[in-house]
Amino acid sequence: MGVAESLGSMVKAFPQARLVAFADLSSRMILASAGPMSVTQEHLDRLCNAARTSFDDPLFSLSVGAFGEPHCAVVMGPDSVRLFLRSDTEPADALCCICDPGIDLAAFVPKIRETLESITHGG
Amino acid sequence: MLPGGARVIAEAHDRNPVARLLRAANETMLARSLEFVSSAGPALTLDVAGRRLLRLTASHGLAGAESCLGSEVLEDEQKDDLIKLLQALAVPGKELRVISGPIGRGGAEVSVGLPVALLADLLLIDLNDVGAEEPEHEAGDVASPAPDRAAIRFSGRSIADFATGIGPVLVAWLSRGGQDDGRSEGPEEMVSHLRDFLDDEHAAVIGQLDLMSAQEGDPVCLMLGVTLIDGHSLVCARLHGTVLLGVIEGGGSQAALSAWRGLMA
Repeated sequence: MGVAESLGSMVKAFPQARLVAFADLSSRMILASAGPMSVTQEHLDRLCNAARTSFDDPLFSLSVGAFGEPHCAVVMGPDSVRLFLRSDTEPADALCCICDPGIDLAAFVPKIRETLESITHGG
Repeated sequence: MLPGGARVIAEAHDRNPVARLLRAANETMLARSLEFVSSAGPALTLDVAGRRLLRLTASHGLAGAESCLGSEVLEDEQKDDLIKLLQALAVPGKELRVISGPIGRGGAEVSVGLPVALLADLLLIDLNDVGAEEPEHEAGDVASPAPDRAAIRFSGRSIADFATGIGPVLVAWLSRGGQDDGRSEGPEEMVSHLRDFLDDEHAAVIGQLDLMSAQEGDPVCLMLGVTLIDGHSLVCARLHGTVLLGVIEGGGSQAALSAWRGLMA
């Protein structure tokens, strides 16, 4: 299954996921995206920057010292939820998601992790 | 079959896919290589930066690209040839996708190229028009850059209420600033570690939260963990000038999300 198809499957399985995007955090680029949300290139750039900021100091170092390197971040705002997931094996590979506040994170996070690892390993 | 990793910018039913193409280029401020691919097969790759088309770097399945491909930088006398290529590529009835990549040879260190607005004017395209040719959007479907701060409605609950709402998975926390300044719960060893961290990094934490917010000072909550499903994770939240820093044990992301939603009306 290609990247676009993998992302599309996630959006189909979780209608409250408005945007699912595959990013290369090292080059700050969204490489593919899927979902009903209409976004511009600038919005995607901002989403990618938010992902990088989530995994940045000072809170990144606190997490590393306390529990280990974080691979998952959830950012909750006034009216949206953003989820950022870094690959366990290729940390620059990430999935960036914009979700409705009612998203079932307990169900969504494991599935998005499977999808990311599948993409990273060329599945 | 289209390559994976592409973003659809024009559906087959769009009446003016050239307009979609130009808007995608116009929205590209950072230097990028944009490969536009039609479901009919042809493709064009353009280096784009600052709402300008810098150069044509590749063409596939389209006649008449030679004059543009040979140029280090697109110039005014090539605009007609380029427009013909764009029109040949972005034909109605076919899906159009774009793949974004790093800018190639030559980079973005040029101050000319062809302004996207110039091509739009020649084609009588309004780059800001999202009217009849755009598909219907559901309400709230567009990724709005920032909610109006005045429109954020709060429930009246405090950051301490947020901590309580997360429940026993929040094993230690403290708050600083605002009406809940100095509150804490949990084993003293854990709380003091968090306190020492905030003593040293309070300003940097505020800065990091600001970077993740639409506007400085907006309510925001960050959870960081190895998986967020098991193990431990950090929670850092800001509301009305109070910062909370805590440790969650186990899969607390759903509980934190529910508690956070309770802060908003």
